[in-house]
Amino acid sequence: MVDKIKVENLSCCYNKKCVLDSLNINVIQNEILSIIGPANSGKTTFLRTLNRMNDLDVTYLRKGEVYLDNDNIFNMNMENLRKRVGMLFAMPIPLPMSIYENIIYAPKRLGLILKKSEQDAIVEQALRDASLWNEVKDRLDSSAMKMSGGQQQRLCIARILAINPEVILFDEPCSGLDPISTAKVEESMIELKQKYTIVLVTNNVKQASRVGDRTAFFLMGNLIEIDKTDKLFISPKERQTEDYITGRFG
Amino acid sequence: MIKLSPKLSQKLSYSILFLATILAIVPVVVIIFTIIKNGASAITWDFLTSMPKDGMRTGGILPAVLGTFSIVTCAISITLPIGVFAAIYLNEYTRNNLLTRIIKLAIVNLAGVPSVVYGLFGLGIFVMFLKLGVSVIAGALTLSIMELPVIITTARGALNSVPYSFREASLSLGVSRWQTIRHIVLPNALPGILTGTILSIARISGETAPILFTASVFYVPHLPHSIFDQVMTLPYHLYIVSTQIPNMPKKIIFGTALVLLIMVLTISFMAIIARIYFRKHRKW
Repeated sequence: MVDKIKVENLSCCYNKKCVLDSLNINVIQNEILSIIGPANSGKTTFLRTLNRMNDLDVTYLRKGEVYLDNDNIFNMNMENLRKRVGMLFAMPIPLPMSIYENIIYAPKRLGLILKKSEQDAIVEQALRDASLWNEVKDRLDSSAMKMSGGQQQRLCIARILAINPEVILFDEPCSGLDPISTAKVEESMIELKQKYTIVLVTNNVKQASRVGDRTAFFLMGNLIEIDKTDKLFISPKERQTEDYITGRFG
Repeated sequence: MIKLSPKLSQKLSYSILFLATILAIVPVVVIIFTIIKNGASAITWDFLTSMPKDGMRTGGILPAVLGTFSIVTCAISITLPIGVFAAIYLNEYTRNNLLTRIIKLAIVNLAGVPSVVYGLFGLGIFVMFLKLGVSVIAGALTLSIMELPVIITTARGALNSVPYSFREASLSLGVSRWQTIRHIVLPNALPGILTGTILSIARISGETAPILFTASVFYVPHLPHSIFDQVMTLPYHLYIVSTQIPNMPKKIIFGTALVLLIMVLTISFMAIIARIYFRKHRKW
């Protein structure tokens, strides 16, 4: 098992208020690592550090290192990093253009498409991989803003797949979705791990137990426990983990 | 303290608010009505397309219309790119620290400087120091400096109205900051920038003080040839015909005012149409 991402002594603060405290964690290639924990436990901060979205925030400060395939991500070109580590946000954010253009937007900007004839193939493949193709193949030119929430979120997945990343970060991807849409997104996640490495932050403990290969429990900026998902849910080592997954707090 | 019944106080406050609204509308209506009543008969094709004759007392106002048109066109083509670029820089690239806050505050305050101050500034810098003389370009530069803070402020408002999440989504896909601005932010901010610009055009078409010392002259016997020519302009021409020439026919004065009024109102109306159009076609 190869480590895809390795985090060493990562501490993160906003305005001198620290939300992550010397975190050490690894993500294994082609696994789904779910991260659970109550609000303010630093899950999302951790996720947004992995593709340096936090660098947009001026109050953000960090110590420690993160390696992607042994390359330090803080020495990498920001655009290259984000091309390799895609991110899906909590709320679906389709760009204000058609479904087709949403998919083709990033590959075009990144210079991944050389010939116009390749575009259709890329769009179809990305939509198929996000299991959205059958629903939208007849209306690729209609606005992405008119789709349902679940479809929008799968469009956002397809958009990431179109730039062919190595890691995909999911930041509570189903928090605004109904159970059926949630099931569809989870289905595509499990399918995606064949090709990609996935880190999933979720408020939904059940979701972590359904899709995660390993699960990590964060509390107040600390990693309390990380283990194989079934092991962590059946026999957690730490008292706090047990309290959280059985719903005694959080 | 007199205690009013709820019903009476309701009636009273309603009447006061209604009266205030009426007071605001009446002067506008009276002005427009007077100008149309006295000036409408002066408006003929000939009035718009011929040179003034007989010491302005007869003939048309063509050189003034063309003068105003050329100054405004020059001014907006200088101020628009600079203003939009500055707004992009301030909004999308700078971090929020003391220096940028001071710059932003200065820009907002610059919009409140009286226009005659800009006029004198233009006289000192462009006409005399840069030796451009009284000319279209000196007037246009003065007007563009005056309008720059307004353009920057409206452009920043338009940029701000584009949801931040669009930028995040684009950046998270590995698209660079400039490409995000160019392909996501600007196209969606364009309607706001455009309507702001049209309103700016309307505003500077009617300005007199900034071009008083920098571009306008009493009378030019020919139409403007180049941007280094001095020109007649509508607002200044209106000032001259109404105060500086004895025995001026009233018709010409009000006719000139009416042309200026129609010009400004038409431009503002275009802004309204544009806004309605873009609101209907907004994609989010």
